[in-house]
Amino acid sequence: MTAAEASPPRPAAAVAVRPPRLPLSDYLRVGALLAISIAAAIGCAALLLSVTGSSPATVFGAMVSGSFGSRVALTATLNHTGPILLVALGALAATRSGLLNIGQEGQISIGALFGVAVGLAVDAPRGITLLLILATAAVAGAIWASLASLLRFTRGGSEVITTLLLNFVGFQVVSFAVNRPWLLQEDLPEGSVLSASPQSNPLPPAGHLPTLAQGPGFRLNSSITLAVGLALVLAFLLARTRWGFELRTVGLNPRAARRSGVSPALVGSGALAISGALAGLAGGVLLTGTAFRVNDGFSNNYGWEGLLAALVAGSVTLAVIPSSLLFGALRAGSGVLAATGVSPTIVGAVQALVVIAVTLPLLYLNRRRLRALLQRTGVSRT
Amino acid sequence: MSGGPASTTAARREVVLGLRSVSKRFGRVVACDDVSLDIGAGEIRGLLGQNGAGKSTLMKIVAGFVRPESGELTIHGKTLGFGDPVVAAERGIAMVHQHFSLVGPMPVWKNVTLSDRGHTRVDRSGVSRQITEVGRRYGLDVDPDAIVDDLSVGERQRVELLKCLRRQPDVLILDEPTSVLTREESTALFRVLRRLARERGQSVVLISHELDEMLEVTDRVTVLRDGRVVSTVESAEASADSLAHEMLGQDFAVSAEVLGLSVEGSHASRARTHAPPRRRAAPAGHDVPVLELADIKVTSAEGHALLDGVNLEIAAGEILGVAGVAGNGQEELTGLLSNLIGPDSGEVRVEGRPIRTGRGRQLGRAGVGVIPADRHDSGCVLEMTVAENLALGSLDGMVRWGVVRQQQLHELGRRLVADFRIITSSLGAPLRSLSGGNQQRVVLARELARKPCVLVAAEPTQGLDIGARGYIWDRLREAAATGTGILLISSDLAEIMALSHRVAVINRGRIIGTMPRADVDTAELGRMMGARTHDRG
Amino acid sequence: MIEDITLIVDSSVRIAATLLFAALGELVAERAGTLNISVEGAMLSGAFAAAYGSHATGSAYYGFGIGVAVGIGVSAIQANLSHRIRVNQFVTGLVLNLLAIGVTSFLLAEVKMAPVQFGLVRIPGLASIPIVGDALFEQRAPFFLLYAFVPLVWWVLKRSRWGLELDAVGENPAAADANGIPVDLRRRQAIYFGGLLAGVSGAYLSVGLIGAFTPNMTALRGFIAIAAVIFGGWTLWGTVGGTLLFGGAEALRVSLPALGVTITPQVLIALPYLAAIAAIALLSQRRRQPAALGQTFRRGIT
Repeated sequence: MTAAEASPPRPAAAVAVRPPRLPLSDYLRVGALLAISIAAAIGCAALLLSVTGSSPATVFGAMVSGSFGSRVALTATLNHTGPILLVALGALAATRSGLLNIGQEGQISIGALFGVAVGLAVDAPRGITLLLILATAAVAGAIWASLASLLRFTRGGSEVITTLLLNFVGFQVVSFAVNRPWLLQEDLPEGSVLSASPQSNPLPPAGHLPTLAQGPGFRLNSSITLAVGLALVLAFLLARTRWGFELRTVGLNPRAARRSGVSPALVGSGALAISGALAGLAGGVLLTGTAFRVNDGFSNNYGWEGLLAALVAGSVTLAVIPSSLLFGALRAGSGVLAATGVSPTIVGAVQALVVIAVTLPLLYLNRRRLRALLQRTGVSRT
Repeated sequence: MSGGPASTTAARREVVLGLRSVSKRFGRVVACDDVSLDIGAGEIRGLLGQNGAGKSTLMKIVAGFVRPESGELTIHGKTLGFGDPVVAAERGIAMVHQHFSLVGPMPVWKNVTLSDRGHTRVDRSGVSRQITEVGRRYGLDVDPDAIVDDLSVGERQRVELLKCLRRQPDVLILDEPTSVLTREESTALFRVLRRLARERGQSVVLISHELDEMLEVTDRVTVLRDGRVVSTVESAEASADSLAHEMLGQDFAVSAEVLGLSVEGSHASRARTHAPPRRRAAPAGHDVPVLELADIKVTSAEGHALLDGVNLEIAAGEILGVAGVAGNGQEELTGLLSNLIGPDSGEVRVEGRPIRTGRGRQLGRAGVGVIPADRHDSGCVLEMTVAENLALGSLDGMVRWGVVRQQQLHELGRRLVADFRIITSSLGAPLRSLSGGNQQRVVLARELARKPCVLVAAEPTQGLDIGARGYIWDRLREAAATGTGILLISSDLAEIMALSHRVAVINRGRIIGTMPRADVDTAELGRMMGARTHDRG
Repeated sequence: MIEDITLIVDSSVRIAATLLFAALGELVAERAGTLNISVEGAMLSGAFAAAYGSHATGSAYYGFGIGVAVGIGVSAIQANLSHRIRVNQFVTGLVLNLLAIGVTSFLLAEVKMAPVQFGLVRIPGLASIPIVGDALFEQRAPFFLLYAFVPLVWWVLKRSRWGLELDAVGENPAAADANGIPVDLRRRQAIYFGGLLAGVSGAYLSVGLIGAFTPNMTALRGFIAIAAVIFGGWTLWGTVGGTLLFGGAEALRVSLPALGVTITPQVLIALPYLAAIAAIALLSQRRRQPAALGQTFRRGIT
């Protein structure tokens, strides 16, 4: 009848190629590598501490108890985790579409700035004020990030460079606003000296995030629930919707996307806008959850930490939740270090070491996987 | 038909380059099979063969870019080790690449000196002077200060040539040098090559598919087929017909057989060469072609015409084969119908309706399916799952409220995996984990499952073994039988002959002739593919 | 009035010098295809190491050398992570910056350092030129390295084979590879050169200009250097112009209030970044970034 029946697929063509299952020993090796590199990271930090005459055990102990040891500590961790997670989600949305947004610090600042402006201007019932602030923050962050997509898709300017540069412009926009009495500068009583670190007026209580739990010395705001909720939503959107499907296609093979009628520019700028919106929202959440006002240096590294949390999470969307929690905990832990007489700045070094410690073994795993694949499929490489 | 081993003409000249029993495999594919070759001093040698005959690989072995499994290479009688391009260059072997190795934003002189080694500073005036000198000596006129991006393709090739020639190589290898050149540029190039050989005694190896130019410029021609040397003939004694026979070999016989012709020396029929497909009568009152290209022009960024007024029509149920040497506009034709590029002028019509291409979803929604020549380029997404790849671009039916319905996605996947006998561990496995043949089946399955009214199949069986190839051919015939119009773009003549109802020849971005398959004379086809004029058709 | 101008020119040049050292190195790294954002971290580490080294050895010269060595060390991490084992170069850069600020701030809080500073060097005669004499010829000793490094970078980029290969590697790594140029090696070397100059920049800042190390004392100057390279359209003279402009903006910001002129400081602080963004938006095709900037090189799979 047909050639296919006359000459059935030869064994050569019919070799079943399974997805790369690495031998167990490889996974063990990666696990061991991970353990070793994390131990090495902690070791480096410990070395740094002992060289300067502090006791690593005391410091690490303080950090653990300061991040998970009590309800106060846990609250601090979760309050930090919320905004970090929001930023990380945005960073993920961009990377999945093949773009790298490193402008979260600026997007947080701009989001919070416009959020506080709206919060101070409107006089509305509680829920509405809060909603307005958060929505404004998200939109402002999205617009700020979209400046980068404008340059990328009309002028071919790398979005990595422009989002980076826009950070520093964003900081100055905030600084400008909180240094102008006719804009957002705090109203000071007649005759008082200008404060060294200018800031805006505090938000009215109608603009505060709802409290989840409260007690002596702590107040857990609802940023963590918002962020985890959005993480689930984003994971669903990416995995299950047409938008997510097309976004991933653009990120992995833009030509295949165009071929199937999807515009990489449109999808990419959408992803960058969402990325900015989530960073802006993180700014809004910081504003309405813990800071209540905007000042110079408002973003305070939340942007960088969220970005790194996303990079640590890699290709598994929901892994951003634990990785953000880790960064939140480190931040909370740093808060109590001062009490031990050690500079809390050590935490920045620990964060960097953790990222290196987690990234390298995963990179190794991916390489092994690729190599195993190439061997199995007989793809020749020249 | 003379299909014997290399005819060992007594070497009239000193042998400069010698190859002994060289073999090279890529995975399961044999690229060079026990090849032996002698190139004399001052000789212009042609290497002729179809795509995949092993010409380029052989010369890359000589230039040190590819390391063979076995064999020996000598230059001036002395053995030269394999796999080191720097040593090969030092010993006088130079290769002009098919894909240019120039840095566009740099001036010519910088590019020329780029492959030099061992100086801490660059000598601008020295290099420029040398470019002018060598250029004058060989008739290659290039401005050393011109920026490469501003040069025409022909001028860029001159730069590549200069890079090689100023080292005074003993053997100069050119890989398909004329495929991108205009007629005038080609003629100028040949003048240079002759001067090299006659006046300087340098040897030239010219790789090409083009019969006429082979006869025009070479002293001798070696024909390769399936990685083997079929014959070596004196160009003066050869004709385009005889070379076409040698080059196509069994494929020529098969093609002829499909046509019902009797060819001397033809081999026993194979399963894939069964009776020609019958063109299904178009439904009454449905005379509109499913696909029409009207005077399509596509121009490159440098202003070269890539598609130069292409006109094509395909009826429902018809397979139109586009034959041609690679690089004559096939890629742009596929790109145009893959939504990757838009035409500068002209119109694409699907079932009579004009369609915008280059962006948007019109092309896909109008029912144009594409099997691209390089599936990894735009055909699939390796990191996504088999099920997702099977649904790529056909999500329209399985989305509700923006959500892709998993049940439908998997149903489609299961059905296609079974129908097309795709071998995969699961629907959720990344496409990367499948073998090449199965990846190609995924693309084929997806495109056919949509029941397209037009299917563009570009090199659909390239790199596949015979089993997979026969399977894909059958699927294409079936699709045509159910009314799909198929545009088959292939540089494999056997494939064109086995599937097509009509055959069109593309040459330098133009369709230079279209004929019903019954009227096809393969030798004539080969000549048209290799022709360097536009005055046909 | 003349005195005011002289003062402003002097401080502009002093600030621009810090930027220019780093920007020269960054220019070389970017021409080879790496957008090396760890320049900030290398500067900061260099600044700290120079200050601590000077304190420990008692000599500003030794300290300076130690600072430069640490700058190269930081760049070595960047180079080998991004162009040997191919971790994304931006991730590497971010992490290194974070690490640098963490470690230096921590160490500063934990160790005590006596301030050490280079003395002023005055070139007789030339320094008496009105207005620019002081600025160009009476400065702290490391400043005068600029008179070596600017011509050196010019020579490297315009005349040397190494520079030619860096350009090829940054514009078209595949073609460079076809010409036998080791792409990853050249990129690593360019980053080492960038680290050396970032170290010089940081060390000049701490033991030259200021005479002490303060937390996060580079204060984003590494990023301003990046902005200067972009603003300068990836050319040497454009980069020099960019650093002078940005140095001038900072000098004005500091000195204008004292002269009774009010100008919005935020605009001056944001100027480098705005100028770089404007350059991206407005510059012609020709003066675009190296085509392969920011991309990891992998030989094609055929």
